[in-house]
Amino acid sequence: MIRAFALLCAVLLLPLTGPVAAHQQKVTLSSVSHNERTGLLEVVHRVPLHDAEHALEARGVLAPDIINNLDNRRAVARYVASRFSVEHKGQPIALTLLGTEIEGGRLVVYQEATSPGSGAQLSIRSQILTDVWARQENRVNMGTGTSVETLVFSAGDAARLARLP
Amino acid sequence: MRLIAFLFAFIIAVPAYAQGIQQTKGSFEDKFRQLDEVLPDPNVYRNASGAPGHRYWQQEADYKIVADLDEANRRLSAKGTVTYTNNSPDTLPWIWMQLDQNIYKKDSIAEMTRTFGAPGRGEAARMSLGQLRRMQDMADKPYGYDINAVTLSNGRALDYTIVGTMMRIDLATPLRPGQSVSFNIDWAFNIIEVDSLGGRSGYEHFPDDPREGGNDIFLFAQWFPRLVAYSDYEGWHNKEFLGSGEFTLEFGNYDVTMNVPNDHIISSTGVLANASSVLTGTQRQRLAQARGADAPMFIVTPDEAEANESSNPTGTKTWRYTAQNVRDFAWATSRKFAWDAQGHKQPGAKNETVLAMSFYPKEGGELWQKYSTAAVVHTMKVYSRFSFDYPYPTAQSVNGPVGGMEYPMITFNGPRTNLNEDGTRTYSLSEKVFLVGVVIHEIGHIYFPMTVNTDERQWTWMDEGINSFLDSVAGYEWDPNMPWTRSLPRDLIPYMTSQNQVPIMTQSDSVLNLGPNAYGKPSAAYHILRDTIIGRERFDFAMREYARRWKFKRPTPADFFRTMEEASGTDLDWFWRGWFYTTDHVDISLDTIHRLRMDTKNPDIDLSRRREERADKPEKVGVRLNREQGLPIWVLENPGVTDFYDENDQFTVTPKDTKSYESFLEGLDDWERRVFDRAVEEDKNYYVLNFSNKGGLVMPIILGLTFADGTSERMYIPAEIWRRNSRRVSKLLVFDKDKELASVEVDPELETADADVSNNSYPRKIIDSRVEAFKRPAPSSRTGRDLMAEVLVVEEEETESESEGSE
Repeated sequence: MIRAFALLCAVLLLPLTGPVAAHQQKVTLSSVSHNERTGLLEVVHRVPLHDAEHALEARGVLAPDIINNLDNRRAVARYVASRFSVEHKGQPIALTLLGTEIEGGRLVVYQEATSPGSGAQLSIRSQILTDVWARQENRVNMGTGTSVETLVFSAGDAARLARLP
Repeated sequence: MRLIAFLFAFIIAVPAYAQGIQQTKGSFEDKFRQLDEVLPDPNVYRNASGAPGHRYWQQEADYKIVADLDEANRRLSAKGTVTYTNNSPDTLPWIWMQLDQNIYKKDSIAEMTRTFGAPGRGEAARMSLGQLRRMQDMADKPYGYDINAVTLSNGRALDYTIVGTMMRIDLATPLRPGQSVSFNIDWAFNIIEVDSLGGRSGYEHFPDDPREGGNDIFLFAQWFPRLVAYSDYEGWHNKEFLGSGEFTLEFGNYDVTMNVPNDHIISSTGVLANASSVLTGTQRQRLAQARGADAPMFIVTPDEAEANESSNPTGTKTWRYTAQNVRDFAWATSRKFAWDAQGHKQPGAKNETVLAMSFYPKEGGELWQKYSTAAVVHTMKVYSRFSFDYPYPTAQSVNGPVGGMEYPMITFNGPRTNLNEDGTRTYSLSEKVFLVGVVIHEIGHIYFPMTVNTDERQWTWMDEGINSFLDSVAGYEWDPNMPWTRSLPRDLIPYMTSQNQVPIMTQSDSVLNLGPNAYGKPSAAYHILRDTIIGRERFDFAMREYARRWKFKRPTPADFFRTMEEASGTDLDWFWRGWFYTTDHVDISLDTIHRLRMDTKNPDIDLSRRREERADKPEKVGVRLNREQGLPIWVLENPGVTDFYDENDQFTVTPKDTKSYESFLEGLDDWERRVFDRAVEEDKNYYVLNFSNKGGLVMPIILGLTFADGTSERMYIPAEIWRRNSRRVSKLLVFDKDKELASVEVDPELETADADVSNNSYPRKIIDSRVEAFKRPAPSSRTGRDLMAEVLVVEEEETESESEGSE
């Protein structure tokens, strides 16, 4: 009984406002990789444009236009960066937000930081758009190329440990 | 024996298939094993070439329905007569019907198996207001069908049993082959609010409209008890509706009467049968003009629709639609609809003029005016090239709360404009792309699966894959510079390399990541088949043949696979096996290249070449250092010790060498001598390219060859090169003497979804990572690049200085 009460107390309400049009993909795909040549940790996020615009709209942005309005795009980029975290040995890795580009129907967001090195055990958490849609699914590929490990995050999921290839 | 030993050393152990045929020795994996052990046996209903068999049959279900909309209470009541014809060779003691609205009952499988994202350790659980709204809605109002009566035409009640979203009706007498039975159903249900419960139909409320109480748009789909399919391969398809797996349906004829408020406009499957009763004279005149128009014409103008929004009904109006040979029936109604139409011409077709139409509220605005009906027409032009003439008299696009959904002759599409503070309406480029894309996609579904009637409950990919492929074809033919998404091979690489995925051949409700799995990956596969493996002419022919064979029939995956192989004349079992039955991805590595030169056997030539090869090698480091140090060399300082060997090196031609050469030539047969002499004379360049397959999928090897003279060429090596060793292969390439290979690149145009391009080039190139490429000063062809770092730094500095100032 006490445990149930504690859980109820801990339920947080996600600030979804207003009706949101359907048919969002509700899937983001990120990659985290170590660049041997530069010694940098590289993070690339792919967010469906349509989802990102509807998320902005749900947050009160009138007439969002990510392709043509750089302020809108940067707002999404900052938001994406704020919802994704990487830790090493208990300390957060400060990722520098490099910028964005449009690739087909996706907004691609780039980040980098000094890499802890190949083989480092990282703690990853992706909660991009999970505060907007409960059914959001975020996939994080550890590494690039042919051999990756995939972490899958839903709303409220805790950080997961993975080795940096 | 050495070769075999070499191969075994490099093959990685893989488990043998747990199928009838097993590799029980060694670890050889046959990626080209034929699919006949996996596919169902051909029979009289579906033959071995993938066509309907000579005894193909399918059931027919005809409906006559009268529906009454209670707008105030958002409830639909209806009575219908169903006539079911048993064309199967089986006697049926009962009939199963689909009660899709029951997915919204509190005890449905879908509802009871909804999962919750559990919080992490020490973290708070999270729940959205949307989730709470849904829970409250489900608690407050009963949803699902109320089945009031099931009777025969003589009024005799039929027993029925409801099992979740299915209902078994026990017939008074078993239905024999060739017989029909008619029965009546009386039902009603509370209409769900889509923004609250989600789903593919329901109502959307517009509280801010000027009319007191606002307005609604009603979308009706899965709104009547529909016959469960009974097929030759599964009998009754009794897999319940869980939400992801869509619909498996029978064709039939419909006569549907809708009673709605008299200020509503209805869009519906079928043809309006009583236009003179429900449309004004002006509207009928406009509709007639639209049939011959080159651009959309308004039947109900936006101004008229806005005026309707403020009206109150003075009664009801009865609309009647009829539809022939459709597998489903949907409709939409609202007083908010503007309505435009344009005739699409198909000379020689059954329906020579198809009315392309759109229905949308003011929220659709200019976005819909410009692009909806235009996209409907464009879709028919493109899709008919790949299949058949558009098979129905109307093709409609309706704006409502559903993002994108398809039914015969009618589709529901969600994109809208945004209302600005100054009252104007605008839309973003991505919203425009989405509207054009979703209209193409959903209208495309009228071909697949509304006409080529695939089993969606079992195989989402069968219609969504072909449709995503064709919608991308149509999209690039609409405007190749629009940022389309999701359907090309290169788009699928991150998904195909990721873990936690399932093969395409997975039942619809069990698919993980439905979008990339059932839409994107099969679409990418078809692009590769069309543009790389089969070629456009034969692929398009095969696709048309598949569509033609199965028009108004129900194909299975085997029918598709077999038809595409037979009509294109290509064994594609390896392709279906790899792309549809496994989760492998593509990564072909060009590991090494060895250059070879043919010996002439002539010692004067060959030994001279060996001497040159030796001379080309770098001097021994120790010898060079000795020379630089000025150390004396004994034989130079003591000339008396020199002899024959100081004048003749190891490559000096001896009489024995010459005699051996002459003996070799004399030993050759005439044909051997001709071949040998020609090869010596041509002195071609021989290169051995060594490849490894790191991704698992066997695919053609596409080579971009660049020569020392600056020329280049493309070489296509069929996937069958991997048939005896799917892990490593070597290929000998031969070029004329003056064509020296300078570099080679695998898949230079990125057409095969190769996941790792860093191993594609020889000599190896340094390939920028995505981040490095993004940071390069001169961006490549990628669009919409925004280097934010400097801007963000400035912004942060400004913020910091403001903070300091305020302190």
